[in-house]
Amino acid sequence: MASAKQIIAQRAAGELKDGQIINLGIGLPTMIANYVPAGVDVVFQTENGGIGVGPAPAPGCEDRDRANAGNQPISLIAGGSYFDSATSFAMIRGGHVDATFLGTLQVDEEGNIANWIVPGGMLAGMGGAMDLVTGSKIVHIVTEHCARDGSTKLMKQCTFPLTGAKEADVIITERAVLRRFPDKGWVLEEVAVGYTLDDIANCTHLAYTVADDVKLNAFGGDSGDASRSVLGL
Amino acid sequence: MPKNKVLPIEEAMSHIKSGMSIAIGGFIGQGDPLTLIDYLKTMDVSDLTIYENDAGFGQRGTVELVNQGKVKKIVASHVGTTPDIAKAMNEGRLVVEATPQGTLAEMLRCGGAGLGGFLTPTGIGTIAEEGKQVVEVDGKPYILVPAVRCDIALVRSHRGDTWGNLIYRGTSRNFNGPAAMCADYVIAEVENLYTMGELDPEAIHTSGIFVDAVVRANVSYCTVREAPLESATRSK
Repeated sequence: MASAKQIIAQRAAGELKDGQIINLGIGLPTMIANYVPAGVDVVFQTENGGIGVGPAPAPGCEDRDRANAGNQPISLIAGGSYFDSATSFAMIRGGHVDATFLGTLQVDEEGNIANWIVPGGMLAGMGGAMDLVTGSKIVHIVTEHCARDGSTKLMKQCTFPLTGAKEADVIITERAVLRRFPDKGWVLEEVAVGYTLDDIANCTHLAYTVADDVKLNAFGGDSGDASRSVLGL
Repeated sequence: MPKNKVLPIEEAMSHIKSGMSIAIGGFIGQGDPLTLIDYLKTMDVSDLTIYENDAGFGQRGTVELVNQGKVKKIVASHVGTTPDIAKAMNEGRLVVEATPQGTLAEMLRCGGAGLGGFLTPTGIGTIAEEGKQVVEVDGKPYILVPAVRCDIALVRSHRGDTWGNLIYRGTSRNFNGPAAMCADYVIAEVENLYTMGELDPEAIHTSGIFVDAVVRANVSYCTVREAPLESATRSK
């Protein structure tokens, strides 16, 4: 049985389209690289200054000067390159990155994202997240549906300081997939194995409509873990 | 003939005085100028303002200067890799100004490029907008971010020549590139030092025009040691 995070990563990888340039956030989003569907060729950018991120080096072959934004050792595929941070964010803000996947604390009805600070909590900083949600063509929120205390992360309105205003385009949780359209707002497109439409309604506070062709039992469950470790992470 | 800028570390670092602003290259340990930071630890300076992506990694890097009480403020995008920073903030010993990573890189680049600032869409509708002027261009709002010019910059490179032409390696380039441009006095610690003309002019990342002093990096911090240790003397 796959974990919630594995289910999310595997379903999120289904959003990848051949030829896209992708930036993955630290943690759960990085796992998406392990589920790139066969026949889909994507190029991974890392905001600390690399494009064409390839498999993790074999143990003993790590190189201190070749790492991702989470400080994990990387290699580059043929055609990859390195650059400085100003150039990296020219790529990101300039709309040259097709899609980003990042986790969140909260996401709301208007597509607002709050993922960098809990008021009164320890400050870490937003890192590159504000630039990524602003500049990427498609912003995927990949997160467990509810926080540890059971409260939903899919809120009517974010209460934490925002990372980006009206930037979220797709939400992928272990329970559902929702997509935001300019005219319709959030639309529930898929429900995972083990959940009903009522279950999703009960744990989702942002307003959404149910797609006419909503897919039930769309992912998760015992479909198995198809990890094939593209980046070896 | 371009000037030989190779200096003993104590001479280069003597430019740093209390109250100065310092841009520091590196990214959570990747390319951090640890030779220069280690020397700064021995200096009697305080009230420094640091512009850096982060404060290092674990117990290593700029966080050490904070723990010594030398730093009053850090402008950074992320300080989560150095737990002591949050402690210093909570105890009122340090101010951290959280800045989006791309904005910080561009602040430094613009400071070196003679620009007054730039317009970024990043942070519109967030607290990054607070206290800043918002400018509309073609109906789209942007935050006006002033450029930053620092007194000092500390950077690290894999290769360099005696005039300060620098070539970085892999992802250790990161903020070293923008930081090397943005200060009145730029000190580069170089892992592998070459004489002028030995580096491929097509491959230079940071031109020596930006660099004021070249210091040999501590050998034990070198990722890949290429040149013989005597190359510095060879160049004199």
